[in-house]
Amino acid sequence: MSEVAPANPLEMVAYNLSRQIEDNQVVYIGTGIPMVGALLARKTHAPNITMVFESGGQDPLEGDMPWSVGCPFTFRKSPMTMEMTASFGQCSVGYVDIAFQGGAQIDMYGNVNTSVIGSYEDVQSLLPGSGGGNDLGSLTEKSVLVGLQTPDRFPEKVDFITTPGYLEGGNSRKEAGLLGGPIAVITQVGVYDFEPESKKMRLIAINPGMDTEMANNLCGFELLVADEIKTIDPPPDDVLEILRNDVDPRGVFITMPA
Amino acid sequence: MSFLYTTEEQFHRLVDFEEAREHHLRKDRTKKDKRLSLQEAVDRFVEDGDIFAETGFAYVRAPIQAYYETMRQGKKNLIGIGSPMSNCSKFMALGLMKAIHLSYIGVEMRGNDKNFGRVIKNKEAEILSLWSHGSMAQGFKAAQLGMPFVASKQLLGSDLAKKNPFVKIMDNPVGKDDSPVCLIPALFPDVCFIHVQKADKYGNAAIEGPVVNDLALAAASRKLIITAEKIVPEHDIRNDADGSIPFWYVDAVAEVPYGALPGCCPGHYYWSREWWERLVRVATPDKEKLQQFLQYWILDCKDQYDHIDKLGGIRFIDEARRQAEAAQLFIDDSTVNYAYEEVKPTDNIIPEE
Repeated sequence: MSEVAPANPLEMVAYNLSRQIEDNQVVYIGTGIPMVGALLARKTHAPNITMVFESGGQDPLEGDMPWSVGCPFTFRKSPMTMEMTASFGQCSVGYVDIAFQGGAQIDMYGNVNTSVIGSYEDVQSLLPGSGGGNDLGSLTEKSVLVGLQTPDRFPEKVDFITTPGYLEGGNSRKEAGLLGGPIAVITQVGVYDFEPESKKMRLIAINPGMDTEMANNLCGFELLVADEIKTIDPPPDDVLEILRNDVDPRGVFITMPA
Repeated sequence: MSFLYTTEEQFHRLVDFEEAREHHLRKDRTKKDKRLSLQEAVDRFVEDGDIFAETGFAYVRAPIQAYYETMRQGKKNLIGIGSPMSNCSKFMALGLMKAIHLSYIGVEMRGNDKNFGRVIKNKEAEILSLWSHGSMAQGFKAAQLGMPFVASKQLLGSDLAKKNPFVKIMDNPVGKDDSPVCLIPALFPDVCFIHVQKADKYGNAAIEGPVVNDLALAAASRKLIITAEKIVPEHDIRNDADGSIPFWYVDAVAEVPYGALPGCCPGHYYWSREWWERLVRVATPDKEKLQQFLQYWILDCKDQYDHIDKLGGIRFIDEARRQAEAAQLFIDDSTVNYAYEEVKPTDNIIPEE
């Protein structure tokens, strides 16, 4: 028997997120779990990725987990830093391969809300605002959306589109003039993609111990389900040990709340 | 447009290209000693009703001690802008800022700023326009480039564009195809402070580490005050001219060592991470607690040195310096420990001795 404890749901999110990254890609790193997933990718299957950050840090040397996307660890001996406009401009002009995006709400077309629950006229809950989210999601060739899934957090339609996914589905994202688009959604349940014609979210893989019914129960809209659902193998012990001992040794992001 | 707290003139001044140009044209070009104390600089150059831009990156090389002096002097009816602009929440809590152009107010994964939600919900402050970091940054950059607007691929299709009366989406009139673009006007704040590692007495100022939007904002802003960790001889700036701001943009220079505390300043000091966690986790959820917090850390401090005493004095500074230097590999990072105890929502509002 393995002596390594099985992955908790947050660790599964970080692991699946890391698997979205291919070696040698230029990866735009946001705060939190995406940072964990990217660091894990670099320490496992994708050692040659280049990390870039919205505050301007580019390609830092490896160091401690950044406390913020503006942390000195994001520009540790960087060969160059960039102004914010140029750092986002890279996504538009085609020098960034993949970016990650979290949100309080993600809807069936991958639109993301980080602005307000309710409306600005009738605020139920005010969120921090776009930050770089809209920029990355509008421009980057491949976006990966990340969130803990509940019916409220996965509504049919977000209260406010901070970061556009596929808008109303079909061709509407391209018609709006947007570039790239979301390729996957990662939650504690598993991994989703977007069905190529309708651009609706579709379950394609589930985490160990999860099933299609759970995915549906934790979703506020009718989920598409792929013809063949892959069951994700648990992360190998050595990967879990890297995640726990090297990537996030203080458990800031991968410890489940009590 | 109708506003709760903002005049039409204040609203339109943000995009008034001609007026900003006139203001810059009137600026004294003399290369002279522009040093003032921080108190004098705030007194003379921040006016009630100004559009006040945040610089740096919220808590990285941000002129936070200048913000605090502005709060202590009670400059009021300010309009906040910046990319990001997390410190605006404190101005709003003190009733000094009643309107904002919003990109982002928060402390990332440390927690949501509940005060921001409360003041907007209670209509103690209003949001005039909504932006992303990058689109607002493009507005500042357009100003620096002397361009009345830029055409962006950001904001398209979003509800941000619907809640932003300054931007306009149209088909690209000059491209190979007519794929839509979002026109972002040049943005001209009235005043900003920029904190730098070194400046000379004339105002030439050099930034170490990411400049974020500060070169653009230096050119865009009608009034510009440099706060510097240290004043150096002019030839020091000439030797190391990357990321520099020219003296003729600058109205005043204040030497403010530790001027970015409790944020971090590359090359000088790391954050008080606990301070920011205490702010969002303990103070902002409760209006009374936040007032106590701001009283203790800002209003009851005479200057940054009082603030440092409360952070732990020379012990805090020495650890913060070592952490910053190790993060940038100026010293052996294996000798520095980044472990710390995160602040819990149930912790005290004032740290225990």
